[in-house]
Amino acid sequence: MKTTLRLIFGEIKRLITYKIIPVSIATMAIWVVIFLMVSSQEALELAPLLIFVDVGMMMILLIGASFHLEKQEGTIKSMMVMPVSLTQIFSAKLGASLVLAIESIVVVSVSLYFIHGITFNYPVLLLFILIAGAVHATLGFLLSLISKDFTSLLGWIMAYIFPFMIPSILFTFGIIDKKYEWLLMLSPSHSASNLIAVAISGEFNMGKILVASLYLVALTVLLCKYVVYPKFKDSAVRG
Amino acid sequence: MGTAFNIENLKFKYPTSKNDTIKGISFNVHEGEIFGLLGPSGAGKSTTQKILIKLLEDYSGQISYFGTDLKKIGKDFYEEVGVGFEMPVHFSKMTAIENMKFFSGFYKNTANYQELMERVGLWEHKDVKVGEYSKGMKVRLNFVRAMLNNPRVLFLDEVTNGLDPKNARIIKEIISEYRSNGGTVFLTTHLMNDVDQLCDRVGFCVNGNLYEVSTPRNLKIKYGKHEVRVEYRENEAIKSSVFPLQDIGYNNDFNTLLKEKEIETIHSGETSMEDIFIIVTGVDLK
Repeated sequence: MKTTLRLIFGEIKRLITYKIIPVSIATMAIWVVIFLMVSSQEALELAPLLIFVDVGMMMILLIGASFHLEKQEGTIKSMMVMPVSLTQIFSAKLGASLVLAIESIVVVSVSLYFIHGITFNYPVLLLFILIAGAVHATLGFLLSLISKDFTSLLGWIMAYIFPFMIPSILFTFGIIDKKYEWLLMLSPSHSASNLIAVAISGEFNMGKILVASLYLVALTVLLCKYVVYPKFKDSAVRG
Repeated sequence: MGTAFNIENLKFKYPTSKNDTIKGISFNVHEGEIFGLLGPSGAGKSTTQKILIKLLEDYSGQISYFGTDLKKIGKDFYEEVGVGFEMPVHFSKMTAIENMKFFSGFYKNTANYQELMERVGLWEHKDVKVGEYSKGMKVRLNFVRAMLNNPRVLFLDEVTNGLDPKNARIIKEIISEYRSNGGTVFLTTHLMNDVDQLCDRVGFCVNGNLYEVSTPRNLKIKYGKHEVRVEYRENEAIKSSVFPLQDIGYNNDFNTLLKEKEIETIHSGETSMEDIFIIVTGVDLK
């Protein structure tokens, strides 16, 4: 545990040194400005979308940037010849990436409280954000691992966004009919977006929550175990 | 002294390649020696090293590390083993000292990295980001990284490649001292100087096969030219004669030359390691 924590702190330190957390905070600052300019009702409606953009799209992009930088540096190979397991290295990366997700809800929650006096069910929001963050971190690793370099990663991200994220955003704005929602929930991003919306609105639909949560947790575990981890190991060894 | 590594009929194939990269090689590395694996690029040297440091696991054959099956040893293996990669392996946006602090934090037993960095001339650049280091500085930092855990066995891949002669000499001195203190070194290289100056024994690796394994001295005796070349001055000109080494003391022409001419140089006809490599494997190192 001590070793894993040391790895996580190392990852977080690098996320700061490599300007990934500062860039994420800068993005958050834009959200705060938006909250200052809109009414309470509009802020409440916008919050899930802004959190989702941060926990979904930004997470994938930032993990990809960090992964390709480390690949260039060959540091993962160097870490593999330390008395730590690859599982610990991978878990630390996943754990550190969730810091980005937590940072997002802290900034949004604090700003909404001080600007509009809005509060949420914070434990539920934190739980759902962790689930949404974990699945997008896993997807970020997957897209990073199948891409040759950062440019190719951007192509893969676009290939993911169009079928899996854009429909979810269109649904949020009412452009896609509600009858297609269960189909849309096959998209990890839509299921994640749903959980975030539920936690903020407080309108709990237990069936939907259970399906979305179980689906995302199962997808994260299966992708990590059978796809991402083996590919991560192969990539680390090849350097 | 025991055996650090015993390798029997080692074979390995990358999942994406059709043929074996390592084709059934056997050799051992004695404790307290510097063993060099010599070969051109793509010979299988780095793959062999990756197997021995447990980065690649799906091999066939038997490898034991100080008598224990390598596959049965856990991550504690890395408490005893230091690995110096050829390519840079540090966080480029962090300083050298930040890198050393980070990596050393994971070992139970750590070396004095200040002392090591001072010896390789990096201490005064400790607060510089590694990304701003020159190639030679990165190579030296890789070496310090490999020594961070006071390893029992040190793996070095092309350790002096990219270094100027002065720094290459310093690194070789540290390696020799490490060996003198009981350390074992597994060196992969294509550089003849490293082999000649460092290795106690050397193996020739080509296309996944291992050819002759012996000491550099024995190889030179076995494959060297058994002759003596004498350069001497005669009528203001430099001339040379070559004599067979066998029964040289009874060779009248040789003895007469020594007595009557002004000798400039005398050399035994040693063949270079590069020439021996070509003789043994039929392949050029370049």
